[in-house]
Amino acid sequence: MLVVEAAVAEVEMKKIKLTIEGMHCASCSSNVERSLKKVPGVKDVRVSVMTYKGFVEADDNVKEEEMKKAVSRAGSYEVVEVEEE
Amino acid sequence: MKESIEEREIAGWKRKLIGAWVFTIPIMLIMYSGMVFGLEIVSMKWMPIVSLVLGFPVIFIFGWRTIKAGMRGLFTFYFNMDSLIALGSVIAYITGALHFFGLTLDYSGAASMIMTIFVTGKYIESKARGKASSEIGKLLELGAKKARVLRGKEEIEIDISDVKVGEVLIVKPGEKIPTDGVVVKGESSIDESMVTGESLSTDKFVKSLVIGATVNQDGVLHVKATKIGKDTFLANIIKLVEEAQGSKVPIQRFADKITSVFVPVILMLAGLTFINWHLFTQDISRAIGVAISVLVIACPCALGLATPIALTVGSGIGAKRGILIRRGEAIQTMKEVGTVIFDKTGTITKGKPEVTNVYSVAKGKENEVLIVAASLEKLSEHPIARAIVDKVDGKRPKGVKKFKILRGRGVEGLMGRKQILIGNRTLMKERKVDVKKVEEKTKNFEEDGKTTMIVAQGKKVLGVVAVADSIKEDSVEAVKKLQDSGYKTVMITGDNERTAKAIARDVGIDDIIADVLPGDKAKRVEELQKSGMVAFVGDGVNDAPALKQANVGIAMGTGTDIAIEAGDIVLAKGSLVGVVQAINLSKATFGKIKQNLFWAFAYNVVAIPLAVAGVLHPVIAEIAMALSSITVVTNANLLRRKRI
Repeated sequence: MLVVEAAVAEVEMKKIKLTIEGMHCASCSSNVERSLKKVPGVKDVRVSVMTYKGFVEADDNVKEEEMKKAVSRAGSYEVVEVEEE
Repeated sequence: MKESIEEREIAGWKRKLIGAWVFTIPIMLIMYSGMVFGLEIVSMKWMPIVSLVLGFPVIFIFGWRTIKAGMRGLFTFYFNMDSLIALGSVIAYITGALHFFGLTLDYSGAASMIMTIFVTGKYIESKARGKASSEIGKLLELGAKKARVLRGKEEIEIDISDVKVGEVLIVKPGEKIPTDGVVVKGESSIDESMVTGESLSTDKFVKSLVIGATVNQDGVLHVKATKIGKDTFLANIIKLVEEAQGSKVPIQRFADKITSVFVPVILMLAGLTFINWHLFTQDISRAIGVAISVLVIACPCALGLATPIALTVGSGIGAKRGILIRRGEAIQTMKEVGTVIFDKTGTITKGKPEVTNVYSVAKGKENEVLIVAASLEKLSEHPIARAIVDKVDGKRPKGVKKFKILRGRGVEGLMGRKQILIGNRTLMKERKVDVKKVEEKTKNFEEDGKTTMIVAQGKKVLGVVAVADSIKEDSVEAVKKLQDSGYKTVMITGDNERTAKAIARDVGIDDIIADVLPGDKAKRVEELQKSGMVAFVGDGVNDAPALKQANVGIAMGTGTDIAIEAGDIVLAKGSLVGVVQAINLSKATFGKIKQNLFWAFAYNVVAIPLAVAGVLHPVIAEIAMALSSITVVTNANLLRRKRI
């Protein structure tokens, strides 16, 4: 148990908030979610079509550019703001 | 401020809507004047030409974004509803051209109408969505823009973003407090309703904490900034609401699963419909028409929006009243909860105990007992300790050595050469102190709901100090309301049974769990969970484990601090009435979600087979689709009418 905990603690997790423009329907948010989940380093994603926000939990390996690309790949969506906690 | 994404989206749909109707209305006039009144403005033979020419800008200019995104989706496998609309309208448009090659039915007029109705529906929907999330917009605009800062002896006005921690800000009557801080000069009352939902204004004087964005009423205040930017109370509330609105409610999972496969399934269904109709009727035109109906009637939006839109409206209404739903899950769990457990100190009571009685075994030595107690308690952080110290304020306490906190029992220390003990019966028993001389008094105090501390020197009992924490004004009302709605109420406390019973009696609480050590609260909550789901209400600072353990944790905000990480629901003001409101709001929101999901499912279950059966014209199908998502969004907005 102790060993596992130590390994988890090593990877620094961070929360990133993306503001995404162009989503207008429920399948839009699930597309963006699906695409973001494939980005290396991303552990968890919640995208809301209501607030135009995507909440990403990721480790340090994640790259902002990769996330932006993933969002655009899912359709005509664009990341307009990135905030890191 | 530049316009928000939301406003841009609404404006975008509006532009498309106007453009699309400008070209679609002539098509409709020409088409229906022939069909209905027999007036052939244009020979029916040339009708497809009219539709193709006038329809071109509708579909390929005003609908271009939809067509592009939809078609791209077909190749990248990121389908969304654009894919359905794009395919439906483009196929319909092409039938106009194919008309000249022998296709009997021409849907090119319908193509324009489909696109026009689609953008109209989207416009109405985006406006309603904007309304649904309007509260967060209001919160974002709540903050002060400017601050008047004292630099040297000069008052200068600066941008709020330039304020630094530690700077002294001057706030005049009627102005907003620029940021969180502490009053260093002046007195005033402040209206905090916009952030905490508390309607009564609060009096502030030197050392009082103030919250940014609240409104100064009648005095000039000098406020030292303690928190700025994203550390402020308001920023934290906004963050909580945003996160909550993006969180998921378990009931939604099934709908989400359907949404994620919805579009490809409909595409296949439309294909199969086309093949079957063609096989059985040998009428390719009719088969195309039916397939178009299937494409455009199906809408993942009603289903996918049903839950998030209701959650957004619900959490928005909550935020306005100081009820912050952190996790969407809580509103679903809430309806299973049968028992509400309250922490006593700071939740039911004000959390500011005061010394009410001092009893001395030796006649007339009350003051000495108190000073002995205060000398030891001065070294403790416990709220009760502070009450005793405050009582002797000004009188010099004596020096104490070898001070020790005995967890859950009391404290001990050496005063000169005398061994002093202060604590409960357990401690006295442990140290073999005979408490017979104070037994009667202690019992009386406890029956009045007071917490008692026995003071002893060596094995000799000196006296008793009684401390009481007064009950919050609205605790009784809140407990009564919960009981009326069928909840069992329980109070958990570290006090002994007699004291706890007295308080429970005053508040009207059903059940008590007394003598609980601070670390054991979560365990007691777990025990109660064996007989059903429970909600725990605590102040969020000491109660985090219990809040987590409970099925629903309701954390009370204490003054200017807000416990972000503890609790599924956070109350910005420390009133128990908020608990009742939070429960009502959760139930109402969840009810709305269920209603929405029901309608969205029902719509698709009825409409899609009708389209497959070929009884709906593509234009009717598109109107039905637009109405289905508008209905869901509008229904969610009706939540506002509910009295919480």
